[in-house]
This record gives sequence, structure tokens and C-alpha cells, in this order.
Amino acid sequence: MPESLASFTTLTVEHLPAGITVVSLAVPGHAQNVMTEGFLWDLGQLLDAFDREPPRGVVFQSARPGSFCAGADVERLERLGDLPESEVAALCARGRRLLDRLSGPAWPSVAVIDGVCLGGGLELALACDLRVATTSSRTSLGAPEVKLGLLPGWGGTVRLPRLIGPGPAIELIVTGEPVNGTRAATLGLVDACVPPETATASAVALLEQTLATNDFQTRRQRQAAPVVIDETEREFLEATSAALILGRTGGHYPAPLTALDAVLRGCDLPAAEAAAGETAAFVQLTRSPVARQLVRVFLLGERNRRDSGTGDPPAADVAVGAGQRPAVVGAGIMGAGIVARHLRSGITTTLVDIDPETLARSVPGILAEAAWDRHTQASDPQRAVQLAGMLRASTDRAAIAGADFVIESVIERTDLKRQVLAEIEATVAASAIICTNTSTNPIATLAAALTDPSRFCGMHFFNPVRRMKLVEVIRGPATSDATVAAVVAHAKRLGKYPVVVQDSPGFLVNRVLTPYLHEAVELLREGIDPARIDRLARRFGMPLGPLELYDMVGLDTAFYAGLVMASAIGERIESSPVIPALVKAGRLGRKTGSGFYRYRGRGHDARLETVDERLADALEPYRLPDRSLRDADITDRLFLPMLLEALLVLDEGIVRDGRDIDLAVIHALGFPAFRGGLLAWGDSLGATEVLTRLARLADLGPRMVPPPRLRDHAASGRPFVPES
Amino acid sequence: MPSSRRSPETTPVVVACCRTAIGRADSQRGQFRNVRGDELAAAVVAAVVERSGVDPVTIDDVVVGATQQRGELGGNVARSIGLLAGLPLTTAATSVNRLCGSSLQALAQACHAIAAGAENVQVAAGVEHMEHLPMDSDLDIHPRAFAGSSRGVLSMGLTAEHLASSRGIARRRQEEYALESHRRAAAATAAGQFATEIIPVPGLDPQGTFMLADRDQSIRADTSLEAMADLPPAFLPKVGSVTAATSAPLSDGAAAMLVMSEAEARRQGCPLLARVLATAVVGLPPAVMGLGPVPASRKALARAGLSQADIDLIELNEAFAAQTLACLDDLGFDAEQVNLRGGSLALGHPLGASGARIATTLLHTMQDRQATLGLATMCIGMGQGIAVVFEAVG
Repeated sequence: MPESLASFTTLTVEHLPAGITVVSLAVPGHAQNVMTEGFLWDLGQLLDAFDREPPRGVVFQSARPGSFCAGADVERLERLGDLPESEVAALCARGRRLLDRLSGPAWPSVAVIDGVCLGGGLELALACDLRVATTSSRTSLGAPEVKLGLLPGWGGTVRLPRLIGPGPAIELIVTGEPVNGTRAATLGLVDACVPPETATASAVALLEQTLATNDFQTRRQRQAAPVVIDETEREFLEATSAALILGRTGGHYPAPLTALDAVLRGCDLPAAEAAAGETAAFVQLTRSPVARQLVRVFLLGERNRRDSGTGDPPAADVAVGAGQRPAVVGAGIMGAGIVARHLRSGITTTLVDIDPETLARSVPGILAEAAWDRHTQASDPQRAVQLAGMLRASTDRAAIAGADFVIESVIERTDLKRQVLAEIEATVAASAIICTNTSTNPIATLAAALTDPSRFCGMHFFNPVRRMKLVEVIRGPATSDATVAAVVAHAKRLGKYPVVVQDSPGFLVNRVLTPYLHEAVELLREGIDPARIDRLARRFGMPLGPLELYDMVGLDTAFYAGLVMASAIGERIESSPVIPALVKAGRLGRKTGSGFYRYRGRGHDARLETVDERLADALEPYRLPDRSLRDADITDRLFLPMLLEALLVLDEGIVRDGRDIDLAVIHALGFPAFRGGLLAWGDSLGATEVLTRLARLADLGPRMVPPPRLRDHAASGRPFVPES
Repeated sequence: MPSSRRSPETTPVVVACCRTAIGRADSQRGQFRNVRGDELAAAVVAAVVERSGVDPVTIDDVVVGATQQRGELGGNVARSIGLLAGLPLTTAATSVNRLCGSSLQALAQACHAIAAGAENVQVAAGVEHMEHLPMDSDLDIHPRAFAGSSRGVLSMGLTAEHLASSRGIARRRQEEYALESHRRAAAATAAGQFATEIIPVPGLDPQGTFMLADRDQSIRADTSLEAMADLPPAFLPKVGSVTAATSAPLSDGAAAMLVMSEAEARRQGCPLLARVLATAVVGLPPAVMGLGPVPASRKALARAGLSQADIDLIELNEAFAAQTLACLDDLGFDAEQVNLRGGSLALGHPLGASGARIATTLLHTMQDRQATLGLATMCIGMGQGIAVVFEAVG
């Protein structure tokens, strides 16, 4: 039996009979193995011991199932921007020096990657001579640093192109997308991909082989040298990668281009010099506010994962509790999207719609969406067949009798919803949770249809469900904490970010969206070109401009939603006469081929052609005096009212924490992550600057009047929202 | 294979060639949406045999190029095509793949066999059905094959973008070139200049009515620079310069040529269209695959003992306007020598069929204009080029 010879808090060390040392990682206190100070210290000590008494060969593996090493402790990354440049550079150098020692002068090393291997974890694996990945579905290798506005800073940009070639290395580093074990083996990122049971034995076999041939020394020479690349291919790689990155980031995210540049420059240099260049690029990125905001947004997501939704600590395991046998009532677009999301998460789900045609129409789409393969950009027919076994579709409401979690998703008609909810309550067990997916109906009104409103809650998904990660969990006046916690846990099982909000018109997201949409129409009435308004919103970082968004949502839908909101915001923001006029003219947006813009085709396939030339005529009766506005004025007009609305939402206690607003606008509206969210953007301006800008807009009336909370922040200098 | 030193027994000559009209690869409107690729190929193979007057039992081999050899074009499709075309069971068959150069490769290797004194009477053909067999489905190219370059080189459109931007070939210049290609193709069609080379085959009109397809479906006689200027970039969103108008359309079609030694042709009394003087293939960086015709043409001309100035007419496959212009700039060809009846931008580019298609169009143009020397050349994805030099038999 191997015997434990040394003990550390984050590592265990065993000697195998053949003289191979096995080092197993287990970092306590974290859900994943992350590179804490303690881990780095332990690793340093271990390598010192190896210097004194060199092993024959070393296997680095994880003692924790499903997690090799998830990289740096992200909370430490958030502070990098505050450190002086020299200190950041020193941190990089220290990490690189440590990883450089993972292969000793005479002893080779091999990493066994079973589970998550990301960021610094991948760099650790790359620093070993050899790598074995496993076929486990949890195994994933990637360099996600660009998603945090950074690049691999511990030699990843140097080792990866030398190992797998500059083209594939750039793809991994610039997209930040991980690969599984099989793909990693094809890429040459690992030397073998084997079942988890044989991983350690395979690693030992690889070590024996490399010891016999000494080829680890040849590999090290190749890893130390510049990369040979054809000059023409290099130019192409650089030009096309840069163009694709710019197309995707709109120039808002500096990390991918900086990483591209670092990799390519590093290719021409010996590894040691390339590493110095990598550090310089890393330091430069930590100076950018984008990296800080992206790290913050990442941490907002982590915070959400830990949030039970009620202030209580989350249940230890969200897999227990209600939601084992969910059912969805209503097979429209939203209901279908919700069911597909369940199937994708591996949850057997019942779908009921009393209309056989609607039900039959929805099922193929649900299966196709649930079986969508991101890599092939197509639905996997075999997977669809497997998933079909997990979908129980019925036209009989009695089919939900055994459900412990029901999501009602019929059309937005209050009377119908109330009737369906009452029927659901009469059909399911008294312990079952009942939710409604609604964007406009007050939860209190719907709850009145139930005998036990304590187990009833709003669960507002966003369209398209497959893409929008936010779910608003809306507490009715009688909703119990246990119900909220169960709905929050269920949303997380679906891979969503649940944000708990109080029952109020528009809830959170539509509430802060309304002033922005309204202002876009006011700008139109003042003679501003619609394409200019949308262009400026996109330049700010929104995925769509407000008028494009109107056309996509449908002007009739937007009009109806606006009516609902009137009670909350009507005193400050009058509903615009333009939208009802366009609705009356039958110009509802994409679905009718015309709204603010004209489209070729209708609905999903509609292609924007141009601003609708009849728009000027339609606006004529509602024209306001022309204003000449600079681009910056227009941007302020669009986004400052959103910020004011968010401050009022905080005042009214509709959310429990400002960070929920930032998370929500990013994951429901596509508010730019590089700005950190709505309140974080406000903080980047500062309350005083916001007041100054609002003063310039004061003649626009009540909608630009600073709420008291804004003045308080300006007086105290406190930020609108904590960092993370 | 310089002809001057070769005897009539080992000098390859083309005795007949023809093609189908080219259809748009479009499941709603494509004229061959209801026709299998192997049927298109069988139609042209049977037609060249008939036109040449060759005794079918003397045909040694059928060589067919296609880039997507699966499904209806799978399982050594050349053999099925020979059988479908009613060739004798004693005629052999092989399928080849040099991507877009496939059927020029089929012709080249048939000629090599003749020069070597091996198989003599052969059909060299090409076929593609880009609607039934899309070029990017079922494709899993090893990523390490591109470790030293990038996966981007698998997008031919990106390589065209790269040529356009690195050589400053403006979008407008590409569009002017594409417009001229359509103008020439429309004029040639109107003047009946394709009447001999196209053999009509059954297809469907856009409404789904049976018809004999005898016209290339992608030619736009009414296109304009204004219409082209409206199109979005096809490969590089927002910043690109290559659009659908300056890229060859996805197409369905087939073409075939019958070759044999000059001596055999004279024995059988077949018409002598042209000798094949030389062939050449080259490799080059995948990122600039579009320049393949440049070194390939130079290599083939050198093998024929000719210089560029000797060549009367040229068919250079138009995969992209940017790529064609880059080649013409490098080779210094005069536009009045090149693709006189329009090129693939207008006619369509059924990948595996295009080599035999451009050679067929070249030989017909040479005959009509009584030209002596002609060159057919193409670029090939992942970094290759191919060229063949023809000499009219006076």
C-alpha cells in the first residue's frame, strides 16, 4: 500500500512502489479546488522537498471528484486593479516561477485532469510535462480569463501555442470557451483521454514511457523555443482573428485583442522572453476598468448562487425539495421554452395544454431546442430522441396531479390565468408549489384566486428562455419564505439567476426598461433620427437599440405593458401617444413587417431594411420642438432615466440589494457587462456627475428630477451599490 | 508531358466535352432540387460518349471528381455513374477528390495514364450537388492539421477577405468584376454560345413544373452595382468586403470530357478538339489558397515549354472576385483573354464539376474563336492550385 509521507492542508503526497510520487489536490473551504494562498504555499514547500530529494516522476491529480483545479480565487482578482503595476507583475512572476518548477530537471511530471480544469488550473496542467484527461462529462479544460477581462497570466499564452499550435491556442484563449477531454486529446492539449478509473494508471504508464525514451527533455526544448509559423499563415491568423473579435466585441472589450497580440508576439520569442511580454499585457489589462467590472459581474453571479432568496442560508443541496416532478401548463412560446430548459437540465417534465394542436406543434420545437448542440450549431437528433422520454405531454390537466412544482404559463389574460391557477390548485397536492409566468399581472390579483396563496409565487422568465439567464421570482403578499426558497432553488437547477422582487407594476426589469424606451420615443418626437438613437444605444453596449427592441417585442405588447406600469411611474413618465398611434395603424414591429423600421419578411426571419419612410408622417401630429443634441446628450437621455428608476426601485424596497439590479439588467436586457450593470455604471460616473448631467436636462420635466436618494449619495459620496 | 517529344500513341487529346446547365443549390427554387447528383453526372457521361462516336467497349476507365463523396455521391460514385450511363461492365471507374480542382484533376490523371501508356480511352468528369450534400456537413477536419495556421483557413470566404484586405482590392472593384462576369455570361447565353456545350437534362422550374434545364440558373442579367452595394458582408460581419454578389453561388451541376491518345482518336475517327500539353498542381499556404492559379499556371506553362505570352485564352475559376482579381494582378493576364463568356461568379460553381466545366467552356471558346493555346486553372481550398494547358489540333 502506498504510504502518506508528508501532510499539507491542500495536498496529500503518496509514493508508489515504482518510485512515482502522486500528489493529490484538495483545497478545503471552496466548492472547487482554487489556487488559494495556502495552496500556493503548500505547493512551494512540496517542490522544495522534491529539490532536496528528487522523485523519479510525479503525478499531479485531484482528490476531489469533478474538480481538478478551477484556477485563481476570483475574489483576489477583483483587487488587482487596486495594486500597483509592479506588484501585479510580481504576482505573475511568482506564479510562473512556481509552475516552472512542476517539472524537475531530471523528473518528469504528468497532470491527471478529471473534472474542471480552468484558468490557472489549466496553466498548472500545462506546466507539467504530460497530461491525461478523463472521459467524464465533468472534465472541461479552458482558459476563461478573457471573460473576466484578463488573459492567462501564469505562462498560459506561452505554453499553449507551443503545445497545440498558435491557431488553436488563440481560439481557446480568445473565446475563453472550454473543451472536453476527448476534444483536448484531439487538439493535443492532453496526451491521452481515458476513463476516470484508469486515469492514474494511465498517467503512471505515460511517465514510465517518457522516462524510458527521455522524450520529456525534447518536449521541454520545444516548449522553450519560439514557435515556427509560416509568415503568410500568421498574417491571415492575425487579420481574421482581429476582425472576428472586433465584430463580436464592438471594441468594448480589450482583453481578446490584447491576448491575441500577446500570443502572436510571444510566438517569435524564446519562452522566457514571451512570458515577460505576457506579464506586461496582463498588467495592462488589470489597469482597464473593464476587467474590474467583468470580475465584479462574475462575482455577482457567484453571490446569486449562494443566495437562498430569503436571507436564510441556502439548503445544503438544492437537488432536494420541491421541483422533483415539475409540470408546465400552457405550451405557447414561453411555456415551450421553459419546458425545453427543464429537459436540458435533465429534469423529467410534464407539459399540459388543453389545445391538442398547440401541444402537438410545440413538442418538436421543445425537443429540438433541448437537444441543441452548441458546438455543431444544430440539434442532435439522437439526443432529441432520448429527451423525448423525459417529456410527458398531455391535453388533460389531470396529468399534473402528481406534480410538486407547477409553472402556469398560459396567455397574459388575468381572468384566464386566475381560472387556470384555481384548477391547478384543485388538482395538485396541498404541498405543491404553484408559480405563474407573467410579466404584467400583479401576483396579488392572481393569488386571490387560490385558497392557499402562501405556496404561490411569480416566476417570470425572459424571452427567449434559452438565452436569457434571469428569472424574476416575485413575492406576492402572502407568499411564504419556504415557497420563495423553493422557487429560487428550482430556477438555479435550470441554470438561471433568480432575483427575488416584490410584487409591483413591471416588477424589476420592465420597470427600469420603461423610461429608456419612453425616452427613445421622445427623442424621435424631437426630430432625432431613429437609426442614430439605436446606434448610440448599441455604442453604449446594448445588444439592440430601444426602437429595434420595440419592433422586436411588438408595439402592441409594449403598449399593454406600458399601461400596467402607469400606476407606478405615470406621474413622472407620461405614456407616449406615438405607440398607440402606430399600433392603430397596424404597425406592430417585426411581426407585421413594419414598426419604426421596415422589414423584409415577418416574425423571426424578418430582416431590417431601413427606417420606415412613413414614420415621419406618423410622428407629425406628435412632434415636439426640434432640439439639436450631441451624441453624448442622447446617450444621457436614454440611460440616466433608467438609473433614476433603479434608485426608486431601491427606495421602494422592490429588491433586497442593488446588486440584484445589476445582475438582472445584464442577464435580462443585455445591459453591457463591461459597465458592470446599471448601478455600477452610475457609480463609474459618480452621484455628483449624475446630478450635473441631470441639471442640463431639467427642462424635460419630472422624469429628469433627481430622486432624494441620488442627492444623499452625492452628499455622502457612498456608491449606489457595493462592489461585489 | 511536353507534346513535342511524345508520339501520337501517348499524346492525350480531348475528343468531346459537355456539361449540364448549372443550377442554384436551393431547396425551394433550384432547377436540380429533384435530381440526384449521380444522375446529372451520368447524363453528361453518356452524352460525351455519344458525341465522340467512340466505341464504348474501348473505354478503359471513368474518372470522376466530386468533393462530397457520400450519400448520393458516395461509395465510389464513378462506378455508379458509369453503370447509370450504360457504359459496358468492362469499363473501370474511380472517384477522385482534389476539392474544387477535382474534375480538372480527373482530366489530368486520365492524361497521365495515356502518357504513361496505361489506360487509354477514358471519361474524365466532375459532379457536385451542393444542395443535397452541403460542403460543411459531416466534416470533422483534424484541428492539428491547422496547428500552424488557423481554423479560419477552412472558410474560403475569409481567405478571400484576407486577399482583399492585404492587397487593397476594394469592394467596389470586386463588384465591378462580378458585374462584368454576369454581363458576359448573360451575353453569351443570349447569343447561344453555350448551346453546344450544355446538354439539357430534366429538372424543375421554380414553381415545380417539369422542364428541360438548359440555362445556367445563377446568371443575373439585370444586376447592378447599386443592387450589389446593398448586400451585407457574407463572411466578416460589418467590416468585410466580400458579399454574396462577389462570391461564386452554391450550385448543382456536372461536366464530362472524353480523352484518349491522339493515335486512338484517329483510329476511331473521333473529332480531335485539343491536345493536353501539360498539367500541374501546387501547394501554397492555406490562407492564400485563392492565389493557387498563380504558381500552378506558371508550373504548367513551364512544363509545356510555353510562356504566358503564347496563351490565347484563359479560363480561371472565379471562386471569389477578390481571389480572381488577385490572380489576374499577379499573372498580368489581360481581361480580354480571361473568362470571355463569364465565370463562376455568374454561372455558378458546382465545386467538383467546375474543373471540367471551365475546360469545356475553354475548348468551346477556343474552337469558336479559332484560338490555338488555352489555359484552365483553379484555386483549391486548404491551399492548392491546379492548371492544364490545351492546344487546338489544327
